Formats: sequence, structure tokens, C-alpha cells
Amino acid sequence: MTPAAPQTLTVEDFNQRGAAAAPARKFYGETLLDLARQDPRIVCLTADLTIPTETDLFRDALPERFHQVGIAEANMIGLAGGMARSGEIPFVHSFCVFATRRCYDQIAMQVAYPNLAVKIVGLIPGLTTMLGVSHQATDDIALMRALPNMTVIEPSGPAAVPAAVRAALAHDGPVYLRLKRADGTEAGVVAEEGALPLGRMRVLRQPGEGLLLACGMMVEASLAAADILAAEGIAVGVVDVPTLKPLDPEIATLASGLRAVVTAENHSIIGGLGSAVAELLMESGVRTGFSRVGVRDVFAEGGTTPYLFERYGLTAEAIAKTYREARGRG
Amino acid sequence: MPRNGEADRQPARRVRDPAELAEVALRLRRKVIELVAPTGQGYVQQGLGAADLFAVLYFAELRLDPADPDWISRDRLLLSTAHNTAIFYATLAERGLVPADAIAGYCKDGSPFEVNASERVGTVIEATCGSLGQGLSVGIGMALAARRRGDSARIYVVLGDGELQEGQVWEAALLAGSLGLDNLCLLIDDNRMQVEGHVDTVVKLEPIAGKFASFGWAQDNVDGHDISALIGALDRARTTTGRPSCLVVRTLPGKGVPALEGILAHNLKLPEEVAAMAREALATENRP
Repeated sequence: MTPAAPQTLTVEDFNQRGAAAAPARKFYGETLLDLARQDPRIVCLTADLTIPTETDLFRDALPERFHQVGIAEANMIGLAGGMARSGEIPFVHSFCVFATRRCYDQIAMQVAYPNLAVKIVGLIPGLTTMLGVSHQATDDIALMRALPNMTVIEPSGPAAVPAAVRAALAHDGPVYLRLKRADGTEAGVVAEEGALPLGRMRVLRQPGEGLLLACGMMVEASLAAADILAAEGIAVGVVDVPTLKPLDPEIATLASGLRAVVTAENHSIIGGLGSAVAELLMESGVRTGFSRVGVRDVFAEGGTTPYLFERYGLTAEAIAKTYREARGRG
Repeated sequence: MPRNGEADRQPARRVRDPAELAEVALRLRRKVIELVAPTGQGYVQQGLGAADLFAVLYFAELRLDPADPDWISRDRLLLSTAHNTAIFYATLAERGLVPADAIAGYCKDGSPFEVNASERVGTVIEATCGSLGQGLSVGIGMALAARRRGDSARIYVVLGDGELQEGQVWEAALLAGSLGLDNLCLLIDDNRMQVEGHVDTVVKLEPIAGKFASFGWAQDNVDGHDISALIGALDRARTTTGRPSCLVVRTLPGKGVPALEGILAHNLKLPEEVAAMAREALATENRP
């Protein structure tokens, strides 16, 4: 990636939008509104982040089902629990870090334990914001994975968001949706079938000697890493894992007998995709070289996404380098 | 979804006679002792203190159908102080909302009647609230949902006074006031007691009603052992429009057992000799 020029933050522009020449589509906001028009149970809650969570479309079209609750995420989760117990399907919105860590006990007690159809939607995954460590969610997948009943989804990019939202709605239970807004610089890898079956990996490139497993933005990076490795004569497959929980157990079958497996995620190496895959492979008796690409147990800092991805080792080159090391142990 | 909330439906007979309600409260106090005695320790003081409040809420105020606990238009009560289960379960059993024999499993391994109320019991536990500070938020969600579907169901939330130290309560109080949720009634069980003793020795709370007034709530201070006053305050709350209502209900820990009255014990030891003394004090022939 080429470093981008520093950008000015505005009220409507928390997430480095505006990097592209053309206005980016609101993949999430459009999908939620479409679904809500068809399903009167859907209600929308936001904590003073309506435009950055693309819920302005819902607010303007269905104001009677839109709830602005102010800057109070813990309260918002409680409200959602009460609404879900009353037959509604609340979609609650904030940035990933505030939608999860800020209100973790509330999610555990008022959403996960009662197994309610509350959809927690976070925008700004990982190191994709200039707003710094307070706004960077690098442990949200870990936190949500640890909750019984919780399903965790991170689509590969904005264009893959609509299928993820439909899957979240179709699942009768709590879901954490980890989303990134389109900014014109990347779109994600869209499923050919246009659907996202929960709990299923998507094999984008069949394994050669090894395998790269990725979620979110790291899917595209992993495809690029596979190209780098292919140019060196190393053939590796690439798998998109949009459902972090429940993890597809077929990953163990696919990984069996391979020289090395590397995971890649825009998240801490602790508790996310890498941990989940390691747990699965160990418990399945799969012996292979293994390494995780992710934020290596540090807090980051504010900066442009290309800068942060370079600095914290989330690039295609970093994935390729990690794979080379892993195959040496395989 | 039903409209207008079947406003006239009241399957469980409402008891409005203070003397009859006092008899109910007396039976509830006896049951509190009976439930806690086998464990030898428990939420006795809070239970005895809140017995009149629970009797009035469940027998005089709430619209419920014991035969149809999932009735969409039922009034809902959320006990945010979910540890106050001896009085809670005693009341639910007395009102026929849970089987009377089932609560004998109170605090026993495997029983759904845990020391902190869990929805394992059924819908009558409207939310699982053992983590303090959360009940009001859930109640607001229910109140908004009822308002949206045009349902006259009312939402009641019981918080402890010590629980007001949780920040989430004030997020919720601010929002409910801002939204003018007049189908929401908050009852603060103001027993002046928390784990470490008197609330004023931990973090001072007064003026409680004044705080809620400044947040846009209708509010009232009520003697939690004056049954007529409780009925009147709930009547006023029910007919208040445009604002949520907060009743600060002053209760006396251990009320009804003179030797226990005023003892600030969050988790009172109740050896058999104390239980026997309490049973004696609560016996009908010993009532004034």
C-alpha cells in the first residue's frame, strides 16, 4: 500500500472517508434499511454516531423505529435487551471498541446470557482510524468470542457487508458484526453466490503446500501475499473466514497434511482468528507449521491505515514473510 | 401485535384493601424466614423491609395473568436488585406466578430459584439483573417497545438505593427523562444499606428524589410501610403524563421482626434460634 496524505477529520468523517475521489457507497446503511422495510421487527439504536455508522439512512426513512440514545453505550445495550424481549430485533451501533469493550458486562448479561436477537454492529475495526488507541478495536473479536451464544462475523470488506447483514438477521440470536465502511480504497471479496452461510469458510484459492486463513481486510492482503509467494514458487491457498464464531470445523480438514498455516487478522493475535484456528488445529490433531499475523500484543497509535498496517505488520509482505518462517518449522 | 394493550384485562384480582394487603405482607415476611432459614444466611433484612412494597406491587398494582405469563400486554416488573430473592420468590409464589412448592428449592443446587434471580425460572423474571445498575436500561427498552406498539402495558423497575452508585443508572435516568416515558415507574428500595454498611458511609446519595426531579422525572418520597401511601403514590405515577415516575420508597431493614429492625446486614446470618425468634414475632397472635 502507498501511504496516504494526512486527512482532516470532520464530524461526518471519523473513518478516513474521502480518500477516494467518488463518494463511497453506504453498503451497511443501505442493507439495513432494505431489510427493515421488509421486517417491521427491526429497530435501530445509535449512540451519537448516526452518520459514521451509516444509520442516517434508517433515521431519515423510518424515524419511528430509530432511537438516538446519546453517548451511553451501556444503557443502549440494556435498551436493546428490553426491546428484544418485547419482540423487536434491535441493531445497535457504535464504533467497534465502544460497541463491545465499553459495555461488555451489559452485553454478557442482557444479550448473550438470554440469547436474544440483538445485533451489535461495530464500525472501525482494528487499526483503521487516525483517532488513536481509544478508538482502535484490537480485542473486540476476542471479547465477543468468549461470550456463550454469541456469533461473530467479519466480512472481507464493504462489498461483502450486505450478505453479512442478511446472515446476522437470519440468525435467531445475538450477533456481533465487525464492519468497515467503504472508502473507495478496497471493497472486499464478494462471494460468488451472494450469500454468507454462517459458520462456513470460503475457499478462495485451494491449498498448495500451505494455507493462509484471513478475515476482514486481511483477506485481500492474503490474496496479495499468496501472489508474492507464488512468484517465489511457493503455492499457498487462501481462505476467507467471515464467521469467527462458530468457526468452521472443516478448516481442520483443509489444513491437515499441509506444510504450514498462517492466519491474518486486523486484530490482536490473542483471542481472535489466530487463536481460534490454533485451538481447532490442536484439538483436531493437525500437525503443521503455524503462525499468526496480527497486532502483536501491543497498543497502537493514531495514524493513517497504510502507515499503521505497515508499522504493525498487517501487510501482504508481512503475511508472506510470516509464511516463509512458518514453513521452515513445518 | 395487540393494540391498546387490552386495557381492561386484569386476570389476577387486584387487592386494594390495606388491611388485606397487610395480611399478604405478613405472609410474605414469614415466607422470607422460611426460605432463608435452611441456608442459615441470606437476604433477610432486605426481604422483610420490602415486603409491604412487594405486596402492593404484585397484588394491588401490576396487571398480570398467572395463567399466561407471556401475555404481551402484561405489566412488567424488573427487580434490578436481583439478590433480593427471598421476598421476590415468596411474592411470586403467593401470587400464583410460580409454583408454591418449587421455591422450596431456593438456593439449592440445580434449582432455577437461585440466590440471584435468573430467567431460568421463566418469563416472570423479566430480565436477569444480578449485575447491579442494569435493570432500568432494560425497562426503558421495554417501555419504548410498548409505546411503539400502542400497548398500555406499564414497566416497573425496582432499584436499590446503593445501586444508584452505578453510573449506568444515570445514563438511563437521563434518557428516560429526555424521552418522557410515562409508562415507566422506578421504585427505589431506599433501605439505606449496602454491602459495607450505611449508604452514607460509602457514597452519599441524598437528595435522591431531587436528583430525579432534575432529570425530568415526576418523583415522590413514600413510607415503604404505609400501604395506603404506597397505593396512592402508584396511582399518581400511573396517571402522570409526559414524564417517567420515580418513587423513593423508604424501607426499614428487618421490618416486622423487632429484634432485627434497623440492623444493616447485607447478608444476615440466620441461625435456627434467630429464625425461631423471627417466626414467633411474625406469628398472627403476636401482631399488634
